[in-house]
Amino acid sequence: MERSFREEIRLLGLGEGEVFHGEGILAVTKALLQSGVSYVGGYQGAPVSHLLDVMVQARDEMDALGVHVEACTNEASAAAMLGASIMYPVRGAVTWKSIVGTNVASDALSNLASPGVTGGALIVVGEDYGEGASVIQERTHAYAMKSGMWLMDPRPDLPAIVRCVEQAFELSERSNTPVMMELRIRACHVRGSFVASDNRRPKVSTRDLQQDPAPFDYAKLAHPPVTYGHEKLKYEVRMPAARKFVVDAGLNELFPGERGDIGIVVQGGLYNNLIRALQQLGLADAWGRSPIPILNLNVVYPLVPEQLTAFCAGRRGVLLLEEGQPDFIEQELSTILRRADLQTKLHGKDMLAMAGEYTAELILRGLLKFLALHAPDVRLTSGQELVSEIDDLRSRAGAAFGGPIPARPPNFCTGCPERPVFAALKLVQREIGPMHISSDIGCHSFATFEPFSFGNSILGYGMSLASSAGVRNFSARRPLAIMGDGGFWHNGLLSGVSSALLNQGDGVLVIMKNGYTSATGTQEVISTPASESRRVAEGASATGTEVTIENTLKGMGVKWLRTVHNYRVAEVRDTLREALTSDFDGLKVVVAEGECQLERQRRIKPLRAKMLKEGKRVVRTRFGVDEDTCTGDHSCIRLSGCPTLTVKPSSDPLKVDPVAHVTNGCVGCGLCGEVAHAATLCPSFWRAEIVSNPSGWDRFMDRLRRRVIAWFQPAARPAASRAASGQAG
Amino acid sequence: MSASVSSSVPAAGDAPFCILIAALGGEGGGVLADWIVGCALAQGLPVQATSVPGVAQRTGATSYYIETLRAPAAPGSQPVFALNPMPGRVDVVLASELLESARMIERGFVSPARTTLIAARHRVYTTAEKMQMGDGRFHDARIHEAAAQFARRYLSLDMEGIATRHGTVISAVMFGALAGSGLLPWSRAVCEEAIRRGGLGVDASLAGFGAAFDAAAGATIESALAETPAAARAAPEVWAPLIATLPESMHAFAAHGVARLIDWQDAPWAREYVDRLVALAAAAPAESAAARDSLAEAARQLALWMSYEDAIRVADLKTRPERFARIRAEAQAGDDDIVRIVDYLKPGSEEIAQILPRALGKRLRARASRGGGLPLLGRGLHMSTSHVRGYLALRLLAALRPLRRRSLRFHEEREAMGRWLDALGKALPDAPELALQIAGLPRLLKGYGDTWARGRASYDRIFATLVSPAMAEPAAGRDVRDRVGQIRDAVSAALADPEGRRLEDTLARAGIEPLPPRSKPIVWMRKPRSGPGDGKREIGENPGTAP
Repeated sequence: MERSFREEIRLLGLGEGEVFHGEGILAVTKALLQSGVSYVGGYQGAPVSHLLDVMVQARDEMDALGVHVEACTNEASAAAMLGASIMYPVRGAVTWKSIVGTNVASDALSNLASPGVTGGALIVVGEDYGEGASVIQERTHAYAMKSGMWLMDPRPDLPAIVRCVEQAFELSERSNTPVMMELRIRACHVRGSFVASDNRRPKVSTRDLQQDPAPFDYAKLAHPPVTYGHEKLKYEVRMPAARKFVVDAGLNELFPGERGDIGIVVQGGLYNNLIRALQQLGLADAWGRSPIPILNLNVVYPLVPEQLTAFCAGRRGVLLLEEGQPDFIEQELSTILRRADLQTKLHGKDMLAMAGEYTAELILRGLLKFLALHAPDVRLTSGQELVSEIDDLRSRAGAAFGGPIPARPPNFCTGCPERPVFAALKLVQREIGPMHISSDIGCHSFATFEPFSFGNSILGYGMSLASSAGVRNFSARRPLAIMGDGGFWHNGLLSGVSSALLNQGDGVLVIMKNGYTSATGTQEVISTPASESRRVAEGASATGTEVTIENTLKGMGVKWLRTVHNYRVAEVRDTLREALTSDFDGLKVVVAEGECQLERQRRIKPLRAKMLKEGKRVVRTRFGVDEDTCTGDHSCIRLSGCPTLTVKPSSDPLKVDPVAHVTNGCVGCGLCGEVAHAATLCPSFWRAEIVSNPSGWDRFMDRLRRRVIAWFQPAARPAASRAASGQAG
Repeated sequence: MSASVSSSVPAAGDAPFCILIAALGGEGGGVLADWIVGCALAQGLPVQATSVPGVAQRTGATSYYIETLRAPAAPGSQPVFALNPMPGRVDVVLASELLESARMIERGFVSPARTTLIAARHRVYTTAEKMQMGDGRFHDARIHEAAAQFARRYLSLDMEGIATRHGTVISAVMFGALAGSGLLPWSRAVCEEAIRRGGLGVDASLAGFGAAFDAAAGATIESALAETPAAARAAPEVWAPLIATLPESMHAFAAHGVARLIDWQDAPWAREYVDRLVALAAAAPAESAAARDSLAEAARQLALWMSYEDAIRVADLKTRPERFARIRAEAQAGDDDIVRIVDYLKPGSEEIAQILPRALGKRLRARASRGGGLPLLGRGLHMSTSHVRGYLALRLLAALRPLRRRSLRFHEEREAMGRWLDALGKALPDAPELALQIAGLPRLLKGYGDTWARGRASYDRIFATLVSPAMAEPAAGRDVRDRVGQIRDAVSAALADPEGRRLEDTLARAGIEPLPPRSKPIVWMRKPRSGPGDGKREIGENPGTAP
């Protein structure tokens, strides 16, 4: 794993009264232990990876508590794991990135929600929405509504989040229903503090075994005819029980204010930004106290009609802050008000944006409209001034820069083994023309950015081959699907490979075998190289000897299978060309092997430092560009995009365009030289092998070589003397 | 929490202190945020930090946002901190790279009324900037100007330089600059203690922190605007009396050009260069600014063109002693380290044909275009230039210099230059604006191998379709202005899209009939199954060229 959680593991052990300082998502992890969970599972993905990562690294500590931790192979297997809580009084929690993970898990979730649970079941989802999100913009809310699961959206404040986690299990048990908790990106990464309590040892656990299986109970199966009964139970028994608990436990918070004529209803996750917006109008102090009453919904589904009508009754207007679309809460609240025959005006999406993140600025703009209409006595000057100042700043900045600032999307790391494969693909395209490329989720999707700009579709994690199933039948040129090993094991093996084999599809699949799910923090997959082979590999690629993927494909009946070593660009190019033009009819798989550079560097760096310190011979490799032969056409950059291959001003006064330049971040992966060769690019690249602590033989040979070369070498000619000698000649 | 408000306006001391950090993924912005949070906690100040790493990881633009109070909160009360920065209400914007500070200005986070902007001075170019065929870099000066205009106070620091000098990472330097700005509600010692608690690379971090602190605390660093870019290399003192006879706008380039051409070939070749400049100068009207610019650009382009990069030149440059010294320095090799240099060469038949005598070169080229070649050509060579054999091979190639004048490429380039100079000479007297565009045209002749061939094709295409017809037109009025615009657009199109597709579109807008699409080699490929397992092979067509 990319990161070590030594300090965070210590935080998980804090006891009663000790103060936890740390990240929001780790506070959730600690809250799970304080709630006495028996098992935890999930699938990694921003922004919730750390919840599971820290527990995986803390296996010993978890084991001492009797808590089982499972790194599931996808979200469906994580959701299915919650099936343990249907029949047994055990608490369990799983986590993943939403909306994509919830999509994958949805079948299991439906079948979990239908019979309901005995032990508390909690699903913590990273609501990957807004700035920094890497997936489509959709709401988890729809899943809660359609399956009849409850959805919490806690105020992004560590004590509030921890309390909500603990109460979520109670809510789940009181209403026999799984509970989801959505945490936005910034809430997951928020750093704050809360006072911890002791971890609770679960009653049934790996240490205290359940002696007998649960008795057979057909009513707990998601199978007709009992599913008809489940549907009634959901809305006639479980939902009322949930509403009662929400009210009794005070899960939603009412912040009273002196104004009786207006009020604000807010999703818990938006509370802090609402307060910041109110502060700009002088309508809240630093502690959040406001003259406008606020109903903060930490539970956004189900709503409690009595609570909402009590809040709205007698008010002229109420503003609802609900992020994202569709406006589920607003529609429901409208119905609630209509049924109660309340004349309170409800505002929400009419004054705020339907789509997009609700930042403090956006909420401020909405508040200005709402208050102008319903509270004409409030002075809005300070807010209006700020809004016009912001507009003015942005328009003046646009003018000052004369256009947009160049974008800086993410990129492959320095030395990433996936970059050479795309360089090779670009070369193949030059020869045979462009082909349809099905992209996938993972680091390799960075090839959709410049300089590669590859990809015609992204349909989901592990879906690339499946998404080319239609295309390959009407394309004159054979399409190509790209998948990472993470995506392959998550979904691609079944939805892509087995389907192509079943249908005798004629496709080309490239699997990036880098050994880990690298984009999410190099978590392990089943084909991750064993620790022993990583130790033996030292600086080399540890995935070279790992053949789980190849064996699996062979076993399934893939006949055309090649493994290539990514840094041999010419070989990768030739193999890709062959796959794309071969008259072999059927699935062709190219396994592109090269271990994730982050993992390699983690091994190499300490190793090299130690050897240098001990005075042992160490060879370091680095690439560079001869400035005086570089013509500044940057074709090398268009085939690489490596962060360390950049440009610098030419020191030659006759050349105005910047020349290529390799910075000292270069790890000597070899791509520059390989590309220069494979593309017949340019003679400007050099590779330097720097031998530190050279042996006696090294020194002897070096002296000898230098002496011989000196005989043939012209004298050094700096610019001025060069000209002078020329004149003399 | 549920008490109602007596006075709803926040007191000044309660207003949060807001720090926005703009950084690149993987730079350690999270560590910096941790240090700041650690300081606030140590001082008993309420604090909150958040970030959006997500997919912005791995060198993409990202940001961290921190809010704290300047004084401890009353026991039991907890301030409400926001999760997003509010534009116009950020106290400090800290940027680890210059362009990222521009991004923060663009988004409205830097306000003249409130914000101190502390920004690194170096650039990490974005891929979009780097990959352009010409110069795609965003202008630093624009950012510095905007920063000075939008920030209440602008501190521009050579953060990268400080980090390198002290062997540390940029986050420590950013922390030092922030502390040195005097804005933090705690002392320097508190910051240093937070770094020590972090435990990793403490000494280097503290050194970088200290250097940045001192730079920010002193007034020495607000001079980014006054600084000029590194002075261009002074023109060599060469053939001064001769060069003095040229118009002044040509002097600097001509001097550099002469030195370069003597180095490239010999004195007579440099003399030929000057003679050509003299002829051009004679055709130019002295009072026209455009003519003066054309002459300067022509002096620059001609020098580069006359010293084109062939295998002889490359071998010569790669075997010079100063190159070995440069590589040692660039690779940061220690005094006792041994450096082995490997060069990547792949001489193709074209490269060899170019340096052969004309007739021989043409025969080789014809043979290559028929698909033949020579046994050893087109293979990638890893030449160890620091070893005796590799060095001697290159030195031998460099020694062919005296034969260059008889080579195929020498003749071809000389002819092409002649046509270009003729056009320039014709345009200069009456249409100096047109001459300026023609003078700049050779910037398309760049690179090696395929890149060079594509650039050459673009050059020839523009010359044939826009420059030559312009020579036949009366040199006055609207027509000339149209031509000027057309050539400028065509050159930008050729540079913007090195694969050459956009050039034809631009030419088409100028009324030039597009070339027929170049045929791709036919690839033998199975067509999609037309019946169940017919097993027949058909020719796969390119889209758009189907009959």
